Amino acid sequence: MKEGYKKVERMTPAMRIIHWVNVLSMIVAIATGLYIAAPYYQTFIADSAVDKYVMAWNRWGHFMVAIIFDVTSIIVAYLYFFSCFEKPWKKVIPTPTNIKEFFAVLINLITLNRSKNFDSSHSDSFNTIYFAIFHLLLAWMLLTGLQLYVHALASGESSIGAWWPWMLHAMTDWTIPASGWINGAASGMSSLMDVRITHHYTMWFIVVWVVFHIYYQVWRTIFWQEGDIAIAFGGEKFVKDKEA
Amino acid sequence: MAVDKQESVKSLFTAQSAKVDTNRGDAYYEKLYAQCRARLDELKELAPLNNRMDFKESIEDEGLDRRDFLKWASATTAMLMLPASFTPLVADAAVMMNRVPVVWIELSDCAGNTEALIRSDGPKIDEIILDIISLEFNETLLAASGHQAEKQLEDAIEHFKGKYLLFVEGAVPMGMDGQYGTIGASGETFHDHLQRIAKDAAAIVAVGSCATFGGIPAAAPNPTDAKGVMDVVKGKPIINIPACPANPSNMVGVILHYVLTGSIPELDSLLRPKFAFGYRIHDNCERRAHFDAGEYVEEWGDEGAKNNFCLYKVGCKGPMTFNNCSIIRYNEGVNWPVGVGRGCIGCSEPDFWDKYAYERPMANANIKAPTGGVEKTVDEFGLGLLTAAGVGIAIHAAASAVAGKKESEKEA
Repeated sequence: MKEGYKKVERMTPAMRIIHWVNVLSMIVAIATGLYIAAPYYQTFIADSAVDKYVMAWNRWGHFMVAIIFDVTSIIVAYLYFFSCFEKPWKKVIPTPTNIKEFFAVLINLITLNRSKNFDSSHSDSFNTIYFAIFHLLLAWMLLTGLQLYVHALASGESSIGAWWPWMLHAMTDWTIPASGWINGAASGMSSLMDVRITHHYTMWFIVVWVVFHIYYQVWRTIFWQEGDIAIAFGGEKFVKDKEA
Repeated sequence: MAVDKQESVKSLFTAQSAKVDTNRGDAYYEKLYAQCRARLDELKELAPLNNRMDFKESIEDEGLDRRDFLKWASATTAMLMLPASFTPLVADAAVMMNRVPVVWIELSDCAGNTEALIRSDGPKIDEIILDIISLEFNETLLAASGHQAEKQLEDAIEHFKGKYLLFVEGAVPMGMDGQYGTIGASGETFHDHLQRIAKDAAAIVAVGSCATFGGIPAAAPNPTDAKGVMDVVKGKPIINIPACPANPSNMVGVILHYVLTGSIPELDSLLRPKFAFGYRIHDNCERRAHFDAGEYVEEWGDEGAKNNFCLYKVGCKGPMTFNNCSIIRYNEGVNWPVGVGRGCIGCSEPDFWDKYAYERPMANANIKAPTGGVEKTVDEFGLGLLTAAGVGIAIHAAASAVAGKKESEKEA
C-alpha cells in the first residue's frame, strides 16, 4: 500500500455480486431486447423449423434476465433502507449536508478536480442520487416489461398458478394509461403499443446512464488516485490517511 | 375537454388491460341462464317489428339447413365465452333478433363497415342475422333521401324512444364547429346529428375504428379534429367494436348478447367487448411457430413469404393487437389479413394509422406520426442522446487530460 493511504470498504460481497449480476443481465437484456424489437439477424431458411427456436430463445433469455433483474431490484430496494453496511436513502433525502455534498461533488466534476471539498471515503450524495435515477429507470422497465409479458399468459393461467398473471395485471395495468400520457396519446386512448414505446425509450436512457457511469468511475480513478474502480471488484478503495 | 384531476388519477390506477375471466363458476352461469331464459320469454311475447323477415324462412331461402344453424349457434356461444349449455338460448335469441330496433348512422368514414356486413361471397348466418335485425334506419341502404329520409329517422326515434340500439359508423369531425361534415337537407353537422340520435338510444355501438377511436380521419395531422364517439357522447352505455372493418361476427355477438341478457357485454378499458378483444391475435396466429423459430419474411415475395413465414419483420403488429380475427377470421372463417400474407396493421387499436399501420419493420417506420415516427424516432432519439452523452464525456475527458489536476500533482 502506498505510504499515507488507508483501505476503506465500500461494497460488501453481496453488493458486488448484485452489481455484476446486473451488468450481465443488462447486456443480455439489451442484446435480446433489440432482437425482439426488430430481429436483426436471420436464421437459415434451409434449416427445418424444429431445429431453430431463435425468437423464442431470445425471448426466453430476455425474460430470464428480466426476472433476475426483478429479484435483484427487490434485494436492492430492501438494502436501500435496511442494509447494515450503508443505507443509501440517507444520502438521497435533501438535507443541508446532502445538498452541500451534492454540489461539492458536481463542482469537482466540472472543475476537472481543481476543487475537491468533500470526504471521498464514503459513498457521496451525488453518486447516490445518480444511482437513484438508475433505480427509477429500472423500476419503470420492470413494470412495463411485466405488463408486456403478462399478455402472453392470456389464459389467466401460468405454470406457477393463476395468482401470478392476476398479480401482474393488478400491479402493472396502470402503465398503459401512464405510457399513453408520456407519449401524448389522448386521454383514454392508450394501448399496449404505448407501453412498448416507453419500454424501448427507457432502454436508451439506461444505456446512456451506463456510459456516463463507467466514464465517471474511470475518471475518478484517474484523477482522485484513490483506486475507485477497484470498489466494484475487491470492494475496497484507498483514501489519504488524515493523520499521516 | 378538461378532465378532473382526481378522476384521472383514479382512472389511472384502476385501468385494466385485457384480463379475461373465462370461467366464473356454476353459480354465476346458473343465475345468468335463468335471467336469459326469462328475458327471451318476455321478448317472445312481443311481435316482430315492422313485419321483418322471419329468420327460419330466410335461412331456408339461402339454402342453409338447421344443422348449419346449430353449428353456428354453438360456435357463437363459444365466441361469447358462455358454457355449451347456453347454445339453445343463443339459437332462440338469434331467431328473436328482429325484435330489437337498430338505427345505423354514418359519419366521417368510407362505409366499409356497412360493406362488411352486406357483402360476402354468399350470405352466411351472421349476415342473415344482420339482414333480419330490425334496421330502422341506415343511410347507405335507405331508398328514401332528403326530407323523406329525415322523416323516417324521426319516426324511428319517436317510435322506439329509449329502446333502439344506435350503431355509429365513422368519426366525428369537431374542427371548425363540426362544419367538416354535414348531413341531410338541413345541413346538420355530424356532431349535432349524433347527439340528437344518441339522446334517445338505449345504448350506442360504435363500429369500426373511425367511430371508436377516430381511425383514419383522426390520423396525424388530423385536419378535421376527428374524434371517436366515446369522446363526444357522454352518459350513455357505449360499446366499441373497432377494426377496419369491424367483423360482422362481433357485431352479431354484441346484438345477440343484448337480446339474450338485456345488457351490454363485459368491456375492457377501451370499451371493447372482452369476448372479442380479450386476446392478442399473436397468441392464436397460425404463423406463430415461425415467429418463435425466428423464421421471417424478409421482403415481399421471398422464399420465406412462399413458405408462410412470420410477417413480423415486414411490419406485422400482431403482438400488440387485441382482436379475435386470428380465431374467427373474416367472412365466416374464410380468411384474414395474416392468412393472406399481409402483416396485421393493428386496426383495432387506438391511433392505429400512426402507431401500427406503417407496414414496415418497426425500426424503419419513417412515417409522420404524432411522436414523429414511433420506433424510428425512439432509436434516433436514443442514439442522439447517446451521442450527446459521448460528446460531453469526450469534452470532459479531453479537458481533464489537458487541464485536470491529479491529487499527486497538487501535492507536487
